[in-house]
Amino acid sequence: MNKFLGNKTAILLFISPALLLFTVLVFWPILQVFYRSLFEWDGLTEGTFIFLDNYKRMFEDSLFYTSLYNGLIFALILTVLQISIGTVLALTISDGLIKGRKLLRISFFIPVVLSITVVCQLWLAIYNGEYGLINKIFEALGLSYRQDWLSNSKTAIFAIAMVNAWQYMGYHFALLLAAARSIPEQYMEAAKIDGAERWTAHWKITIPLMAETYKFCLVLAITGGLNAFANMYIMTGGGPGTSTYTLTYMMYRSAFRVGEFGYGSASAAFLVIECLIVTFAINRLVARERIVY
Amino acid sequence: MKKSLAVLLSSVLVFGLTACGSDSKESAGTPEAGGQEQTTTLRIYAQYSDEDTKGYYDYAAAELAKEMPNVKLELEVQAQDDGQKLKSYAATGNLPDIFNAGQDQINLFRKSNNILQLDDYAEKMKFKDNMQPSAMNTLYADDEHIYAFPYAGNEFVLIYYNKELFEQNGVAIPTTKAELLTAIEAFQAKGITPMSIFAKEKWITTALYDIFATRYDPRGIKGLDSGETKPSDEAYGKAAQDVIDLVAAGLLPKGATNLNYDQAAALFHEGKAAMFVNGQWEIEASTKALGDKAGYLYYPAPDQAMYEQNKLAFSGGGSPGGFAVSANTKHKDLAAEVASFMALKYAEFKYTQKGSPIVATKVDMEPAKAFDPMMVTLSEDIPNITSTTAFAWGLSNAKFKAAIEDASQSLLMDGYSAQQFVSDLESALK
Repeated sequence: MNKFLGNKTAILLFISPALLLFTVLVFWPILQVFYRSLFEWDGLTEGTFIFLDNYKRMFEDSLFYTSLYNGLIFALILTVLQISIGTVLALTISDGLIKGRKLLRISFFIPVVLSITVVCQLWLAIYNGEYGLINKIFEALGLSYRQDWLSNSKTAIFAIAMVNAWQYMGYHFALLLAAARSIPEQYMEAAKIDGAERWTAHWKITIPLMAETYKFCLVLAITGGLNAFANMYIMTGGGPGTSTYTLTYMMYRSAFRVGEFGYGSASAAFLVIECLIVTFAINRLVARERIVY
Repeated sequence: MKKSLAVLLSSVLVFGLTACGSDSKESAGTPEAGGQEQTTTLRIYAQYSDEDTKGYYDYAAAELAKEMPNVKLELEVQAQDDGQKLKSYAATGNLPDIFNAGQDQINLFRKSNNILQLDDYAEKMKFKDNMQPSAMNTLYADDEHIYAFPYAGNEFVLIYYNKELFEQNGVAIPTTKAELLTAIEAFQAKGITPMSIFAKEKWITTALYDIFATRYDPRGIKGLDSGETKPSDEAYGKAAQDVIDLVAAGLLPKGATNLNYDQAAALFHEGKAAMFVNGQWEIEASTKALGDKAGYLYYPAPDQAMYEQNKLAFSGGGSPGGFAVSANTKHKDLAAEVASFMALKYAEFKYTQKGSPIVATKVDMEPAKAFDPMMVTLSEDIPNITSTTAFAWGLSNAKFKAAIEDASQSLLMDGYSAQQFVSDLESALK
């Protein structure tokens, strides 16, 4: 085995198909995005090389700051809701203290497998200013808090982020449940013998031991938030006005609505850099030492 | 044994490759009495998403089958995606032989040599002779060449109103902004939505803004698009302020920016909204829903003098567009002929079946049903129309188009000012 692992030619031979696929499908397009961001290009004709002018223009564009801000808001909401509620759900199920665990486990995961269009249509009805469920609940409770959730520039981005957080919460739940279940039981038993309460034991033992999974969940939630597109495309079309634009939506607008593929590539390139920085920071700051049970 | 196996494998391979490559657009022909005739398959990219658009295509395709039985159309349904699918086709050299193109695509494909110039074909097929003289603007692009055979004609944005609701509530038809504010107040007091609009679609918010802009300057958004006027001109800021004031007074339903066509139209058709904004193609649906109760009103202006002055300056208009032909098609002549035929038949269907005389080409047939009364009124107005502007999709500057669509939808939100509107448009036009 050691002899085989020392054979660099064999290793290269075996990894080359995957490496080739990754290069062609992921790495090369990313390089193209960076390259094309240096051009004034309509996507069809030969572009004009303008070096960093697209970036200069982007940093002077108010839409860029709106998009950046919205992406960060989206990422924050996803991170907080998906990971915190996902943790509570996972630990509740893993403790085995409630009945119907199998049914709950499936129920929590159902939204993940639903089409994003179906989910958005469902929430469009829930958020409706006239007959939507949320406003009806407020009405039933006697609270005068009716809102045009998606038509108000101040609430729309939060409302959309909630939909995404709700849909993919089950995914984080499944990851965290798997992590919680993989922790050897003797740790919890030892904690119980020492007199720790259930939640104290989780706080001191389970959650720290799930750090590797949290790292993965954090990367998924934050980059998912920064990349958000489909929800706003279906629910608000980036509106009202430009209030629910994210960098991905800005890229779509520049490339496909305006036909400025170079400028669109610049916002895409910025997004790639932003996601790489976040991923790098999480990898540096969270679970720096690999956890071994 | 080995040799026969090789022959067998080669045959399988050749057969397989032939089968895979069978997307050749010339098939072996259909046996006809007295010989074989070549059938040519042409890919066509056209609207076919609802009962309305399907009717046009089915009619034209059926007529084509009678007129040119040697042509088989392979339909690709046009996506409602700002033309991105078509642009992707162009980028990959896979444009359909015939495609429905608007101003935006014509301008882009012209630069990239993806669209066939149809001047000679139009001449040869005498397409110009078929054009309505008033719709020649839909035939020629900015460079005075023909790139698409039009059928739609010059269309208009109308403010529809429910006559009965106005009468029952004692509301006068508004001619000025002040009267419109009074009407808003009166309808709101009765729990009636003053004006319905499907503002989730950004083009209609642009049309709403353009309605008010034309009261100050009949060139409206077209003036900005062509560079004849500037966003900082007084007219544009004032029109933005009018929209802001009217929306703040309660002109539109709550959550208007999230209403789609079906929701917004239902409010008007069911008598829950007093007014509704849409193109003149809405006449058929509104008449069907409301009968004689439906009518259209002339756009209210800041004062009576301006109302009279610009009464027949309409928002909307026409732009070059229609059935275009790919520059890379193998069947240029045939595709051009079919594109021209389809355009003529689309216009024919609109005139005879949809009850609309607003078409780009002349139709020498009797309509299947009498024109709706509102259409008759509009037909009487058309010769007196003093000017038109453009629909959002007819704007030639894509950057300005995106900006005005976003900015005009923003006018419906709290906290967005007329100054901001002007400034956003100025940034887009830099």
